[in-house]
Amino acid sequence: MSIRLRLLAIIGMSLTMLWSLVAIWMFLDVRNELRTALDDRLVASARMVAGLVSQLPPVGGKGDSPLNVIARDGLACEVSLLRGEVMAQTIITRTAGSPGLADAAPGYGTHVFGGKQWRTYVLKQGDIRIATADRIDVRETLLRDIALAAGVPFAVALIGSLLLLWFGIGRGLAPLERMRATLARRRPDDDVPLPASDAPSELRPLVHTIHHLLERVQGTIARERRFTDDAAHELRTPLTAIKTHLQVARIASTRPQAAEVMAQALGGADQGVLRLQSTLDQLLLLARLDGPAEQASAECTEAGAAARQAIEDAQSDHGGAVGRLVFEAEDVPIPLAIPAALLVSALRNLLDNALRYSPATVPVVLRIERIDAGRVCFSVLDEGPGLTEAECAQAVQRFWRRSNGAQGCGLGLSIVNAIAKRHGGELLLRNRAQHGFEARLGMPVHAAR
Amino acid sequence: MHVLLIEDDLLVASGIVAGLRLHGLTVDHVETASLAQSALATSTFDICVLDLGLPDEDGMALLARWRARGHSLPVLVLTARDAVEHRIKGLQAGADDYLLKPFDLDELVARLHALLRRVSGRSADRIEHGALSFTASTGEVLLSGAPVELSRRERALLRALLQHPKQILSSEQLRDSLYGFEQDVESNAVNVHIHHLRRKLGAGVVETVRGLGYRLGDACAEQQR
Repeated sequence: MSIRLRLLAIIGMSLTMLWSLVAIWMFLDVRNELRTALDDRLVASARMVAGLVSQLPPVGGKGDSPLNVIARDGLACEVSLLRGEVMAQTIITRTAGSPGLADAAPGYGTHVFGGKQWRTYVLKQGDIRIATADRIDVRETLLRDIALAAGVPFAVALIGSLLLLWFGIGRGLAPLERMRATLARRRPDDDVPLPASDAPSELRPLVHTIHHLLERVQGTIARERRFTDDAAHELRTPLTAIKTHLQVARIASTRPQAAEVMAQALGGADQGVLRLQSTLDQLLLLARLDGPAEQASAECTEAGAAARQAIEDAQSDHGGAVGRLVFEAEDVPIPLAIPAALLVSALRNLLDNALRYSPATVPVVLRIERIDAGRVCFSVLDEGPGLTEAECAQAVQRFWRRSNGAQGCGLGLSIVNAIAKRHGGELLLRNRAQHGFEARLGMPVHAAR
Repeated sequence: MHVLLIEDDLLVASGIVAGLRLHGLTVDHVETASLAQSALATSTFDICVLDLGLPDEDGMALLARWRARGHSLPVLVLTARDAVEHRIKGLQAGADDYLLKPFDLDELVARLHALLRRVSGRSADRIEHGALSFTASTGEVLLSGAPVELSRRERALLRALLQHPKQILSSEQLRDSLYGFEQDVESNAVNVHIHHLRRKLGAGVVETVRGLGYRLGDACAEQQR
């Protein structure tokens, strides 16, 4: 239901009801007043006739009889003489068209004469009885005429005010309609802010809210777009390398003395395949980590064993890293509520970053510290250039890479962060006091023991 | 054709370089925008292949800066980002052509030839010069209708001369077109190739402008043979 219709219904109905009540009240009032006035007229006429009768001798002649004056007003009158003890009455005179009023009781009364209802008044003065009467249906007609005369303008005014209300509400709602039209015209990627200046003060909070909502939606769209864009870039680049190298190999295979070029090209294609594979693996892992949480795993991993496994893996990735990795931990087994594969993967990513971004001659330390009964912290410390504050904040974003020619596809820290979040831990990146960089992965200790 | 390849991914770059060289082009590869800047300042290139995702500067910004400074070097943009708006932005920034990764090596070469042809105002792939006929994309050379066998360097030399028919090219420029940034080139290497070219196509094909360099001569080989 439109606001316009709703407002019209509420206001229109209240108005109609209120004015109808007033009208009914007024009508009842007027009817009462009219009855009283007409009754008073009956009485007054009766008295006047009585006065006239007492002054003039009751002559049976017609003509200028005072009763005719009364008859002109639509009243019936009957003058009769009461005689002796016998309640016989002799009608002296009566107006033309007057019904027999002999039966009417003294005072006011309502009688049916000749099938018509009459209002009667009977006055007794000495032995003269004067009865006046008027027809009830004449009274009703009069009342109807009055009601009509007052009611028609009233009804017209009511309809008019409803119409005015309709247009007025329409005009009043125009800013809303304007805003609706603006929103309807808007394309999803439109980033022009809504015009807030011409909105009335009641609508301004709404405009504001819509504005914020649009901003958030736009932010999400932009992020999604950037993500697909980045993912496309990361997948297409190794694919390009593979394709180009294979094409080079194909051309070289047709040329004499191009065996070396061909071998290089095939080697390049191989490298591309490896890169594509690792990027795909990481993307899939991230997608799985993003997906709905699997059953809370009862799997329990020993921190030291996972760390040693991660160090071993990192060393095999970085052929020359043997001896660069230093492991520091107390010799107490700490159980963690996280699948071993994920913890190893997270630690390996951290070690991989540290090895890659710090000088090749300095050691990288993996330290396990028990912070309190419930938490354990893995620290990976290197002596590389570190990151700025802003970069630390950005580093966990997907596909983020240091701008100066960094290797990798920019998913490592995102993966670590996702793993940590999923299993109740957190990842903290910070520069070390003197120099170098520290990545701290805090994980909750398995509660069962 | 001397190509400047600006591409930060070494694996992709090595593939493109090998592929273009197999197609008889002279290629120099740089990884960053700043290196591209200095390469452009010290050497002459016929065409540039630009990857947009450079580590030190966005390729688009580099391109816009070049165009603002009036560099008219034809640029083919390579990118892995396929949104239409990227393409439009690239072309607006002054790119002459656009190729999406992963691309076909043959297509890249064909586009480079087409771009160069357009820039030098030719509409056909074949360059006719007197009795000489040179097919730019394949490097096929016909002299009075008969095919002539040329070495890779000789072909590059002939291509450079035919591409700038009225211009005098210094021996440094020719050296760039033939060898790019290769360091260990004999000082008289260009002369040797010119000598060979004259032997195969007639002495008039290359004209020596004393003290300045060389120019494409009238291909009067017919009379000489």
